[in-house]
Amino acid sequence: MIVEIGHFALVLALATAIIVSILPVVGVHRRDAGMMAVATTGSLVMFGLVALSFAALTWAYVVSDFSVKNVWENSHSLMPLIYKYSGVWGNHEGSMMLWLLILVFFSALVAIFGRNIPETLKANVLAVQAWISLAFLLFILLTSNPFIRLDPAPAEGQDLNPILQDFGLAIHPPLLYLGYVGFSVCFSFAVAALMEGRIDAAWARWVRPWTLAAWTFLTAGIAMGSYWAYYELGWGGWWFWDPVENASFMPWLAGTALLHSALVMEKREALKIWTVLLAIMTFSLSMLGTFLVRSGVLTSVHAFATDPSRGIFILCILAIFIGGAFMLFAWRAPTLKAGGLFAPISREGSLVLNNLILTVSTATVLTGTLYPLVLETLTGEKISVGAPFFNMTFGLLMLPLLIAVPFGPMLAWKRGDLYGAMQRLWVFAGLALLAGLLLWYVQNGGPILAIFGLAIGCWGMLGAVADLWYRGNFGKLPVMTSLRRLKGLPRSAWGTAIAHFGLGVTVIGIVAASAFNTEHVVEMKQGQTTDAGGYALTFDGFREAVGPNYTEERGHFTVRSGGAVVADVWSSKRLYTARRMPTTEAGILTFGLSQLYVSLGDPMDGGGIVVRIWWKPLILCIWGGCLIMMVGGFVSLSDRRLRVGAPSRKAKPVKAVMEPAE
Amino acid sequence: MTRKQKRLAVIAGGMSFIIIAVFLVMFAFSQSVAYFFMPGDLATANLQPGTRIRLGGLVEAGSVERGQGSTVRFTVTDGNATVPVSYTGILPDLFREGQGVVTEGSFDAATHAFVADSVLAKHDENYMPKEVADRLKKDGVWEDGTGKGMAPAKDGTDQQTKDKTGQVVGSTTP
Amino acid sequence: MILWILLALMTAIVAAALLYPLSRRSEALAPDNAGEIEVYRDQMKELDRDRAGGLISAEEAEYARAEIGRRLLAAAGKQGAGADGISKTSALRKLAIGMVTVVPPAIGLCLYITLGSPGLPDQPLEARLENPGNDMNLLVAKAERHLAQNPNDGSGWDILAPIYFRTARLGDAELAYRNAIRLIGPNGARLSGLGETLVVANDGIVTEDARSAFEEAVRLEPGNVRARFYVGVAQEQGGKAAEAKATFEEIAKASPPDAPWMGLINEHIAKNGGTVAAPSLGGPSADDVAAAQDMSQGDRQEMIRGMVDSLASKLEADPNNIEGWLRLVRSYMVLGDRDKAQAALKTGLEHFPAEGNEGRQLIALAQEIGLSAAGAANPGATPKMGVTQ
Repeated sequence: MIVEIGHFALVLALATAIIVSILPVVGVHRRDAGMMAVATTGSLVMFGLVALSFAALTWAYVVSDFSVKNVWENSHSLMPLIYKYSGVWGNHEGSMMLWLLILVFFSALVAIFGRNIPETLKANVLAVQAWISLAFLLFILLTSNPFIRLDPAPAEGQDLNPILQDFGLAIHPPLLYLGYVGFSVCFSFAVAALMEGRIDAAWARWVRPWTLAAWTFLTAGIAMGSYWAYYELGWGGWWFWDPVENASFMPWLAGTALLHSALVMEKREALKIWTVLLAIMTFSLSMLGTFLVRSGVLTSVHAFATDPSRGIFILCILAIFIGGAFMLFAWRAPTLKAGGLFAPISREGSLVLNNLILTVSTATVLTGTLYPLVLETLTGEKISVGAPFFNMTFGLLMLPLLIAVPFGPMLAWKRGDLYGAMQRLWVFAGLALLAGLLLWYVQNGGPILAIFGLAIGCWGMLGAVADLWYRGNFGKLPVMTSLRRLKGLPRSAWGTAIAHFGLGVTVIGIVAASAFNTEHVVEMKQGQTTDAGGYALTFDGFREAVGPNYTEERGHFTVRSGGAVVADVWSSKRLYTARRMPTTEAGILTFGLSQLYVSLGDPMDGGGIVVRIWWKPLILCIWGGCLIMMVGGFVSLSDRRLRVGAPSRKAKPVKAVMEPAE
Repeated sequence: MTRKQKRLAVIAGGMSFIIIAVFLVMFAFSQSVAYFFMPGDLATANLQPGTRIRLGGLVEAGSVERGQGSTVRFTVTDGNATVPVSYTGILPDLFREGQGVVTEGSFDAATHAFVADSVLAKHDENYMPKEVADRLKKDGVWEDGTGKGMAPAKDGTDQQTKDKTGQVVGSTTP
Repeated sequence: MILWILLALMTAIVAAALLYPLSRRSEALAPDNAGEIEVYRDQMKELDRDRAGGLISAEEAEYARAEIGRRLLAAAGKQGAGADGISKTSALRKLAIGMVTVVPPAIGLCLYITLGSPGLPDQPLEARLENPGNDMNLLVAKAERHLAQNPNDGSGWDILAPIYFRTARLGDAELAYRNAIRLIGPNGARLSGLGETLVVANDGIVTEDARSAFEEAVRLEPGNVRARFYVGVAQEQGGKAAEAKATFEEIAKASPPDAPWMGLINEHIAKNGGTVAAPSLGGPSADDVAAAQDMSQGDRQEMIRGMVDSLASKLEADPNNIEGWLRLVRSYMVLGDRDKAQAALKTGLEHFPAEGNEGRQLIALAQEIGLSAAGAANPGATPKMGVTQ
């Protein structure tokens, strides 16, 4: 019965979505506050219903109700409890449910926290959110229904894909979806504003918290996914330029651009058209990603059940929303007034440069991702565009941005002084170069270019420090005064500096892990020793072990440095019994920010085994930097100003009138 | 500079960045794109040794041969032709004889053997060569009661192939 | 019934929640530039703060102040866009209320009835396992859980193994038999069960592994007819007709003449060149024997034939598979279909010329099982072979 209630709740959510799609829009048109208010209530109701439905599905997973087809296909009664929870979204139907849940969750957040937004704008935003919800509800109910039942029920499930039986699955998809579904709010704001034909600086401020939240979660989601792939797949790589990765990376790039252009719009009311366009593009890229992943049109290492009819459905959703939004844009954009003017060398100018580079890079990634698809459709030739392509194009294009980042915050709005900024920064640039050299020296040399790579990373970090240094006016004022000034800085300024610092850290990680990475593929017999990354690894032999739903052969290695034992590590080959699927569990040892990565290969005749050992210096910087960027996002999100809107002390009479209507 | 000139300079700068990007993309495509071939296509492909390609097909049953150290030799087939491949490194978990595989690398000019530097096995435990799936269907294995999922698995064809339930077992008791 | 009541309740709650904002007389809306004005005022305050903190120069601050001021004025100028109060009885409202009342029940019911399964109760596995009834699968699942917790319960594996075999879970059956043998020691039944599993898993061919299992079973339990039968089959498949005949004849001698397997045994004796004792010893009538024979025979033959046919069609599509040809030829011989075996040999030799390495394997096989390789190589020649050796 619980399952059926969940199913019905989903159907009711569809009915509610229809109502919320229509009434508020009519309400805005006829200026009927009651009908507009349906948007708020309706969004909350929808969230309640979808949450109920999701909970019912989760319940079915937890109690192993194999009369639900989706549970039977993707669960197993002996699976550890946490994977029963996370298994809910470890498959196509369930992950679409999560997508939907997060979508209506954001609608509900707008409904609750959107008190500072004018009623009409809010009603329209929620209506647009309801359109998207409606499309995805239809998609789930008609092509990917997780509540299909089986009668008679099978006795045992088919188990979750072992690759997904990992803590990573518990957090990676929710974070990622919070990110790229979060951009739906920006999309809705853009469409709603275009419908009203009114876009101004205040709009940019209202959108900013949503962009920031989505961007922060997406950063976390991508970083988490990258680390998960790194330790779970046993290939030692952390980014493969796989289509599915690109699908999440493109919205991130576009979202980063949006974050920066909205800043210009908020301050100077310039770049209006561009910002609205970016908001539409960012979510369009999210949906495109969903389409690419779900339809299986691109070959990817990610395994998802794919089904052409689903692909076509999503393609239709994509066409309607993106096409519709761009048509609306083309119709309304010319009526927008141009905003403030600014000189090329100015804060605005630097943000324009940021946008130019980020969008061009996004376009490059998009080209590389879609080119094989286009070529195959046109000529039938099958090609693969791999990492070398992306490293060459994306890597080179990002270079000027990384060099320019520290300059941005140094320039004044409207008309900046590049010479002055250089004067302030040259000390930091020198320090960065020195730090790069030092890092390079510590890593025992390597390619000369790595010095510059490392220096650019340090430059990003020191640039952020310089930003705070000059804002605090250290060196000219007494230290205490400077510190007080720093404390008084708006949170968003801190957020910017922290995020830029994190970017630098990530760059250092990427450069170091690519330039100084060493790999050893050796055949080892019990008792043999191999050197890797300055450590000596001794293979001590195998031990059999049995997990809840797998058996494994665990290889044990002792790690010595200068003769003394410093650590030991297990690396294993698992066999998941239900699916008879082998996986490799890499053994990873962390030394400071560097890691030793041990992965087992095939057993050889004569008792030996192929072992692959990587030394990955400073690799933790990659994800550490993302973590710092994330912190920057949250700090910025906590800025008081983002909550400024209509109701406040001064506007008391207004508030009194407004409240009952809410 | 007048304001107009400034604006022109900015636009020119932006355009030149975009043009650089376009050239970069075109250059990268010409350098690093690997075409995909099945063994049967190679005869007509007229490839230069050293050209990077992707070679896909099935790992021929019984062809995997482990040589010195971590070098592995195997044969990729598509039913029409076969190509011997050598690869040094660790094979993916899902690499199995008779299963689909995609390798990337180039033909060695001297030995004419395909030297792969990466091997991808389909990241999907349900992957079955179509031919095998067809055969199982023909045998009537789908009909009922043979897979572990039992009756309801009418559309779960791919799930059922995963253990060796390939044959219908009649009682052979004498 | 309870389900329907709950569903109706849910629908009612949703409709009521959506009706609530519509049911009230709407208040006049706040002028919608209020929010904007507030934002610009805040920007102004921030500017003052920045100026006071010395973060921006006086000149910049003046510029910015002027700009924000212009925006503030523009926003204030849009005044008057406040909303009209609309009475809750207006026609539009009525339409909206109608929609909210009709859509949830109508859509909810229509879609749910087509998609849902209201008749199915929840079936959590724990509850089902406590009360498994006659569901074989559940019983197996229950046993599996028990064994997952006590993997050293040999007799549990012993019980489960034949069930796996019968439900065609051959991999599991093999594992279960091996576990049982490892834990509680080998006996005739377990070994022959293991052997049989291996045979079925290998398309009816008695592999080396299987043969040693059967031989061990016979050693432990000389009266195990099944194991002895397969030992005979192994000999037969290996081309040792005389030995096979002896084995089958021994089985026949040891068995009561009315044993249900006699038909199959006699057939194998005949196939290996022996003469079958006439079933005139009393006991079952010839019809009975024929019926028994038909049953086991029919089952078995049909099964093997199906497998062999699919192998043949596979080879037709992809003939470059020497293993396949070897197996096909051998399989036809096992089925007693000499003509087809000959034909398969011939086709195989077309793809793998006799001079080649693979071709030689085919010829060796032909000689081993008594087919004429020459006949295959020269289509003109009539196949001549001694059926009995």
